[in-house]
Amino acid sequence: MQNQPYLLLHLLLLLLKYSTGFLPSQSQTQFQSKCQLPMAKTGNHPDYEHLRVMVNGMPGPMATEAAEACLRKGLQLAPVALTGPNIEPCTIVVSDPDTSRSATVRLIPSNKEAEVEMECALEGLRAGVGSKGRVIAIDYTHPSAVNSNGEWYVKQRLPFVMGTTGGDREVLEKTVTDAKLAAVIAPNMGKQIVAMQAALEMLAKQYPLAFSGYSLRMTESHQKTKADTSGTAKAVVGSLLTLSGDDFDVESDINMLRDDESSMAFGVKEDALNGHAFHTYTLTSGDGSVEFELKHNVSGRRIYAEGTADAVMYLSRVLDSGGENKIYTMINVLEEGALE
Amino acid sequence: LSPIALTGPDVESSTINVVDLDTGKSATVRLIPSGSEENMLEAQSSLEGLRAGVGPKGQVIAIDYTHPSAVNSNGKWYAEQNLPFVMGTTGGDRVELFNDVQNANLSAVIAPNMGKQIVAMQAALENLASQYPNAFGGYELKVTESHQKTKADTSGTAKAVIDSLLTLAGDDEFDKENDINMLRDDESSLAFGVKEEDLNGHAFHTYTLTSADGSVEFELKHNVSGRRVYAEGTADAVMFLYRKLKEGNADSGRIYSMINVLEEGALE
Repeated sequence: MQNQPYLLLHLLLLLLKYSTGFLPSQSQTQFQSKCQLPMAKTGNHPDYEHLRVMVNGMPGPMATEAAEACLRKGLQLAPVALTGPNIEPCTIVVSDPDTSRSATVRLIPSNKEAEVEMECALEGLRAGVGSKGRVIAIDYTHPSAVNSNGEWYVKQRLPFVMGTTGGDREVLEKTVTDAKLAAVIAPNMGKQIVAMQAALEMLAKQYPLAFSGYSLRMTESHQKTKADTSGTAKAVVGSLLTLSGDDFDVESDINMLRDDESSMAFGVKEDALNGHAFHTYTLTSGDGSVEFELKHNVSGRRIYAEGTADAVMYLSRVLDSGGENKIYTMINVLEEGALE
Repeated sequence: LSPIALTGPDVESSTINVVDLDTGKSATVRLIPSGSEENMLEAQSSLEGLRAGVGPKGQVIAIDYTHPSAVNSNGKWYAEQNLPFVMGTTGGDRVELFNDVQNANLSAVIAPNMGKQIVAMQAALENLASQYPNAFGGYELKVTESHQKTKADTSGTAKAVIDSLLTLAGDDEFDKENDINMLRDDESSLAFGVKEEDLNGHAFHTYTLTSADGSVEFELKHNVSGRRVYAEGTADAVMFLYRKLKEGNADSGRIYSMINVLEEGALE
C-alpha cells in the first residue's frame, strides 16, 4: 500500500482541491480531467446557498435524474459523491436539460480502498462550506448497499434521503433512529402519488363501505422487467376494497400489461415503454349506472427525482430550524408544504 | 312505503302502484294533492290514521322530491306535523328551511347532493386539499363534463371538486366560468361515453391534472347515468334518520347532512 508521506500528500491535495475549488495540475492524482467547482452563480436558490447535495449512485439513471432535479430547483451539488464499488473513479458533468444548469461531480467508488478518500473529501467539503453550511446525501444506489450506506451515513453524521428500495428496512430504520440522525426514508418518492394514496386511505378509514355493492376493476402497465404490481397499486386497491367490500384478489384480479402493444394501447408513449407506471382503477355500481375511475400515469423518473429534491429541501429546512433528528416520511414533506 | 303521500296541488287525487323492477316488490300509494287547506286537512287526517295504525313504536319518515316552489311550505308542514324528513328537492329558501326545522326541534336530512358516493369523493378531495395544499404545484387542470341539454350550468358538485383541485395545483389560470369544457349536444356526449338512453339524464365528469413537463397525469372521473345513485342515497338517508330517531338521543331537532350518513355507515 502507499507509504505515509505519500498518503499525507494525497490528503493535502484533496483538501486543497475541495476547499479552494482548484485542481492542482496533474499526475500525482488520479483525476482524469480538469475539474472545477462551479462558483456561486445567479440562479442558486437563496434559501439553500449553504447546502451541498451529495448524490450517491451516479451514473445510475435514477441518481442522475435526482441530481438534475436538484440543479433545476437551484440547489448546489457536492463536487464528490459515492458510486458503485467496482466503478473506476471518474468525473462526470451533470446537466439539467430544462435550465441548462450543470455541475461537475467526482465519483468515488464505495470500496475499502477509496473509503479514506471519500471521508477526506467529505471533510474538505464541510470545511469549505463553513460552520453554517450543510451537506445532505441522496441515495439511489442498490438494494445490496442500503444498509452499509446507512451505516456510513450514521458514521459520518450525514443526513440523507434514501431513495433506494430494498435492503433490510427495519435494520436501516433502527440504525438511523438509534444514532439520532435525521433522514427521509420513503418507499415512494413521487410526492403527488403519496398524496393521492393518503387521500384514499383517509377516505376508506372515514367512510368504509361507502361504495358497498360496487365492483372493482384494475389495469396497470409497467416496463417488461417489472414482474409484480407496485406496492403503491396494492395499497390503493386495499383502500378501494375497504370502500366497496368487493371480493377482489390482489394476486390474480389485477390486469397487468407487460407487452408493448397492450401498453401502447393503454396510452404509454413508445419512448416510455422502458420506464413507466400506468394505473387505472374503476369502481362500478351494482346496476352499472354509476362509474368512478381513477388514473395515475407516470412516464419516466422525473416525478421521483423531483420528490427527492423536495425531500432534500425539506430536510434542510427541518435541520436549519432545529428540528428533531429522526426519520421523516413523504407525508411529513407533504404536510410541511402546507405551511409554505 | 306509507299508503298515503302528498302530490302536486294540480294533480288529481289517485292511487298508484310503485314497483321496484329489480326485486319485484311493490306497494300501493294513494296520492293526495297538496296546497289547499282542505287538501292539507285530509293529508293530516291520513297521517294521523297512519300513525295510529303503526302504533306507539312506529315511525313515519317523509322523503321530499317535489318542486323548488314547495320546499318551504312543505318544510313548514313537516314541522307542524312533527314529521322527520329527507329533503331531496333542491331550491327554495334554504336558510328559511333550516330555521323552520330547527325552531320546531325536528330532525331531518337536508343535503344538496343525495349521491352518497359522490359526496364521499368530494369530501375526500376537500380533505386532501386542506391537508396538502399545493402538493400538485405546477400541475395544469383540465375539466370536461356532460349533462342533459336542459342543464345550462355546470353542477355545484363539479365546481366544488374543481375548487379542491385548484387548491392542490395552485393553478391560478383556471377560470370556472370559461375553462370547463361543457358538452351539451348528443354527438359529443355519446363520444364522451354517455349511452343513448341516458342522454336525457346523466352527469359525466372528467378532471385531469398534468405535470408541467407532461410526464405525470392524474385523472378522476365520476359518471352517473339516470337517477338511481341519488335514489339509493335518499333511501340510505331515510334508514340513517330512522336509526337516529330510534336511538332517541338528546339530539332532538338536528339537521343532518350526507356526511353524517356516510360517517355513520362506518359504525355498522
